[in-house]
Amino acid sequence: MMDEPIIRYEKIDFLGEGQFATVYKARDVKTDKIVAVKKIKIGSRLEAQDGINRTALREIKLLQELQHINLIGLLDVFGQKSNVSLVFDFMDTDLEIIVKDNNIVLTPANVKAYMIMTLKGLEYLHQNWILHRDLKPNNLLINREGILKIGDFGLAKAFGSPTRINTHQVVTRWYRSPELLFGARQYGTGVDMWAIGCILAELLLRVPFLPGETDLDQLSRIFQVFGTPTEEIWPGMKNLTDYVQFKQFPPQQLRHIFSAASDDLIQLLESLLAIYPPKRCDCTQALQMPYFSNKPAPSVGAKLPMPSNITKLETEKPSLKRKLLENIDGGSLAKRLQF
Amino acid sequence: MDDQACPRCKTTKYRNPSLKLMVNVCGHALCESCVDLLFLKGSGSCPDCNVPLRRSNFRVQLFEDPMVEKEIDIRKRVLKDYNKKEEDFATLREYNDYLEEIETIIYNLTNNIDVVGTNKRIEQYKKDNKELIMKNKAKIGREEIELEEILEIEKQMEELRRAEIARMEQEAKKQKIREKEALIDELMFAEGDAKDILNTFAQTVASNKQEEVLPPVPKITQFSTGVKFTTRGLEQTPMVTIEEGPLYRYEAPPVPDRCGPDPPSLHEIMTQGYLRHVKAETETEKAGGYSSQLPCLRALQDALAGLYHAS
Repeated sequence: MMDEPIIRYEKIDFLGEGQFATVYKARDVKTDKIVAVKKIKIGSRLEAQDGINRTALREIKLLQELQHINLIGLLDVFGQKSNVSLVFDFMDTDLEIIVKDNNIVLTPANVKAYMIMTLKGLEYLHQNWILHRDLKPNNLLINREGILKIGDFGLAKAFGSPTRINTHQVVTRWYRSPELLFGARQYGTGVDMWAIGCILAELLLRVPFLPGETDLDQLSRIFQVFGTPTEEIWPGMKNLTDYVQFKQFPPQQLRHIFSAASDDLIQLLESLLAIYPPKRCDCTQALQMPYFSNKPAPSVGAKLPMPSNITKLETEKPSLKRKLLENIDGGSLAKRLQF
Repeated sequence: MDDQACPRCKTTKYRNPSLKLMVNVCGHALCESCVDLLFLKGSGSCPDCNVPLRRSNFRVQLFEDPMVEKEIDIRKRVLKDYNKKEEDFATLREYNDYLEEIETIIYNLTNNIDVVGTNKRIEQYKKDNKELIMKNKAKIGREEIELEEILEIEKQMEELRRAEIARMEQEAKKQKIREKEALIDELMFAEGDAKDILNTFAQTVASNKQEEVLPPVPKITQFSTGVKFTTRGLEQTPMVTIEEGPLYRYEAPPVPDRCGPDPPSLHEIMTQGYLRHVKAETETEKAGGYSSQLPCLRALQDALAGLYHAS
């Protein structure tokens, strides 16, 4: 696996730079496949004290053992001098670019296909006791065959331990579930399911569904849609660390917000975006809902839309500029997996 | 209450129902007979403003306000030279400025504001853009020809379709007559019950009708999509129809080989008392979405995995 890595991967292009890593597009000489090489920065002396960067360690640790068509594949890890580089499947675009591209029309069949691929990947992940904790359109990577793969495992963590305390400062704010916003330290798959619900809503609306500006604003946006929960709806809510009393908002009808959505789709949304975490469905339950087995059938991979610049220009790097800008803003959290 | 009147001879619509007001480029109206009278020689000056006019430039006034007519005339004249298109400009802003300029010129000429200056401006523009004006004129001409061609083809298609429909109607009529005759024949000469014969005939007629309804449909779509671009239209049709892939059916992911006895399912954990041996979740933990079932399941999976493993 470690034979002559520098010679094995031929750098083609620079794709982007994050806080912790630089990403290159490269050709694997051995298999003649295009890959993405993520070179972990060694950082300052202080950071280097712990050894390898934590997010990179998470990615290496978890992805090594995960094998699923809808999860990004970690193909190789190699060291060179004091650097560590990770080799991933090369992905052409991501869901955020597709959602934002006004030239792309997303049909109900496309949306269904994206959701199925995401949920299948996540189901596998949850089955193996791993929470992703940073699901957002930007981390759902798509290649030109129309295969969606969940990427960026920098925040992923094993769950299902009765004693382990987790941080609630995870998930990009817009996709963060109400229990995380209230500071829950013990949570389950619900945090990922809520994010999936927000992503599905974004696929329908083509703009972020709940673009909160602060954590409190995020909660109030959530409650403006779903109604402020009461103690009956969400028992124990008041005991959560960061609980704050909110103004009473009446719940709204989801079908008024998503006027074009079919009834089975509204049902799925309601189930994914249930305020009370134990009421939220898990991946298996979601995939068994009528929405997925009903018509229209999900689009097959090749029929999924692609940004126009992907098919035309091989060397285009659509996400670079956006990613760099995001990093200037401070981004979401300190981790990056770029393609 | 027709107060339309010729400003010169004062004839009104009431007195002369066939009164027709005409206008020329200056925007002043005259009735038809006055025009005949004044412009016997083919040219003359407007009685209102003394502008020299040609008789051939008179036309029927369409709008009540003759100023509108004047503006239309001026607009036509100005646009003949100001014929740049959006593609001729680098930015939308420039194009908008250009349109704004045209409107100013037309407004000035219509309302007699700085006519001399404005005309000079037009002349200057004409001189500056001579080549482009010629080119655009040619382009517009070509576009017109193309449009005419398209219309012509459309007409032909329409005719073809009408003929086809007529033919089919004829066919249907003939078929009906034939059926009727057959029925009568059958009733006359056959041995069976008259009711049965009627029933069988009614059925065949009904089934024929279904067959008849179907075939014309593809023909109509073929014609309505294609104006000249029939071939392209036909290529596009399969793209419009949604590709029906297979419907999704849930398949549980394969259970990994754990090299050990099967752990109890989540259902068994909940019903068979496994939960008595683990710490129950507090209300706060439950409010956060944590439940003790999953850790229990995980612990059991971990405990049983690898038990069959032999080195």
